Amino acid sequence: MGELAADKHVKYIISVEKKKDSFESVVMEHLRLNGAYWGLTTLDILGKLDAVDEEDVISWILKCQDESGGFAGNIGHDPHVLYTLSAVQVLALFDKVDILDADKVSNYIVGLQNEDGSFSGDIWGEVDTRFSYIAICCLSILQRLDKINVDKAVEYIVSCKNLDGGFGCTPGGESHSGQIFCCVGALAIAGALHHVDKDLLGWWLCERQVKSGGLNGRPEKLPDVCYSWWVLSSLIMIDRVHWINKDKLVKFILDCQDMENGGISDRPDDAVDVFHTYFGVAGLSLLEYPGLKPIDPAYALPVDVVNRIFFSKK
Amino acid sequence: MSTRENSYTEAEALNLLAQLERILDLDPLIDEVGFIHPSQFATLKEEIGDSLSLEDRVHESTSFWIRDHKLGISTQILIPVYKAAKHAFISALRQYKTPGNFSGKSQDDTLAIEVMIHSKALLLLSCDFATAWNSRKLIVSNKRLLPILMDELHLSALVLSYSPKSEQAWSHRRWVINMIARNCSTLQWIIERESELVEKIAERSKMNYRAWNHRCWLVSFMTREQVLDELKKSRNWSGLHVADNSCFHYRRRLMLRNLEGFCYTQDNNSSGYFVETYQIWKEELDWNESLIKQYVGREALWLHRRFLSMYLIKHMATHLLAVSCQSKPKASVDIDIDSLMDHELCLVHSCSTTIADANFEDFQAQAIHSAAYMLWLTKQIPEYQGIDIQEKLRAGVGDVTRMLKRSCPDRSSLWDYLVGYHSEP
Repeated sequence: MGELAADKHVKYIISVEKKKDSFESVVMEHLRLNGAYWGLTTLDILGKLDAVDEEDVISWILKCQDESGGFAGNIGHDPHVLYTLSAVQVLALFDKVDILDADKVSNYIVGLQNEDGSFSGDIWGEVDTRFSYIAICCLSILQRLDKINVDKAVEYIVSCKNLDGGFGCTPGGESHSGQIFCCVGALAIAGALHHVDKDLLGWWLCERQVKSGGLNGRPEKLPDVCYSWWVLSSLIMIDRVHWINKDKLVKFILDCQDMENGGISDRPDDAVDVFHTYFGVAGLSLLEYPGLKPIDPAYALPVDVVNRIFFSKK
Repeated sequence: MSTRENSYTEAEALNLLAQLERILDLDPLIDEVGFIHPSQFATLKEEIGDSLSLEDRVHESTSFWIRDHKLGISTQILIPVYKAAKHAFISALRQYKTPGNFSGKSQDDTLAIEVMIHSKALLLLSCDFATAWNSRKLIVSNKRLLPILMDELHLSALVLSYSPKSEQAWSHRRWVINMIARNCSTLQWIIERESELVEKIAERSKMNYRAWNHRCWLVSFMTREQVLDELKKSRNWSGLHVADNSCFHYRRRLMLRNLEGFCYTQDNNSSGYFVETYQIWKEELDWNESLIKQYVGREALWLHRRFLSMYLIKHMATHLLAVSCQSKPKASVDIDIDSLMDHELCLVHSCSTTIADANFEDFQAQAIHSAAYMLWLTKQIPEYQGIDIQEKLRAGVGDVTRMLKRSCPDRSSLWDYLVGYHSEP
């Protein structure tokens, strides 16, 4: 089996951070805060968070906050829950969540809960179970989960459950590994995992593993490294991870590395990006690959970061 | 060549932006956009030959190409034009939002128009620039006129033509449709067109989750007639795309919606409605079987079958019993779970005994999928169905487990756990 080229990946992430002039980078600038979360969490898992300038990062993040309390993907853009969660998560990495006005951020999220328990992503009203996960995860980190109607939120998520045991983005939507992670993660944090048929869902998730050992997101699709996270963390949360072949999955992820330039791609020999680099490394962490910090499957943050939030005396 | 990208002056960039915006303004019917490498421009220009005046003007440009409502943009200018568009957009939006800038309605309109022009150019270059889509929602929600809303559908369709997975484009469509639903009676027609659009996009962008999710979302706006119509109309397409799990999920969505409708209709017509629904289910099962035999080893087909037989056994059997007792002329439908199971067992057997060597991947896949299907059935049969069936299945399960472990040893632990679970008291 190959090895994890940790140093190369660290160099790759730092270089991406600096190179903002390519067209690809430029058209992603509206979601830079997500990119910060992917890059920095990867660095932390690899034990190299100190490779970046903490103050620089934090001051930039704070500039992304809108007067509504929510965060935008970059300075001057509109706020959305997607970036609000990333902002809170990155601050958590640096143990600086307390510099936020937690009530202000929470109120932004609370205001986005709808009558049926679902959450909109922003004031324009799009509903998706991803936003339910974001709301619950973010409020939990801010220790303000009691501000929303958790029962109703759970009810809505359960209404998105399909006959195959999986979850879609809205009621009746196709089961998708990413959406499943969001729903299972949300239910886990809300203490409502009993709503999940673990054997049924576990079966569906295990059927994502293809011959090469990689995982796909839905039936008949190609394997993709990012599902190493979404499928794997879901399996761990419902206690069925022993149903898949872990060794083959490790090998698949390692095969997706660019051993020369660093970074990980969606599948072997494709172009790398920060998104897949994060999910590859996070997946390996879940698989207990040596030398990596353990990561929490529900919060998608290193375990020591999560413990710090909930168990340290302030 | 690539160093040229960074050597456009601000003035040149603004000029390019102006060119782009003029092209968009002169041809509102543009329905496709592509990004072309500069070296391909020469070839395209040769093809133009005698052209209309619009093309003549653009002829000089090495950056844009337009013909038959198809727009090509040179990849060389993408960054400078993007930056110019972004700055123009942000500046216009800031002015539009600043209170006190509105000295009268005409001023308001001018600023709004500026935002619309620049956001359109920006979105063609960066289609998930949400702030730009939001600004259009803001301006349009002040007008709410159907032609303006239709323009938004046109722009998002344009974006989807080259970026079929754009989350923002799909989301924008839903926002527009919700606006239309509130105000206009053209909703049914729009829903039909939306459904066709998704099918068109799904042809080029296989198993596009966002596209199919959008189509499933439309179902809640459909009448029962539309639902049944959609089932009929989408059948051929599904038969030609048997590896596309999303399109079969869409059919399941439609069938479930139809079933929901039945549950709320407890009147004199209910037995007729019911027979029709049962027919639909039965036809789908038969059609699915013919596809399974024709297209060997397709997971999506077997997953569809799981859903169909599970529903028939679990839910419709109970309903039918209730309805046939009530209806005066007895419902001429007879769900015999026993013979249904026999049929399914037969089907599974015929698929697993093909080609013992299974050197052909497809036949091997067929065997695995049919065995997994058998396992699925054993878990779905409620206890009250009777001991005979349980025994039939138990015998089947024995074969199935051996079969699964032989052909799919990687998943040994999975099969063990699943089958082990089943045998627990």
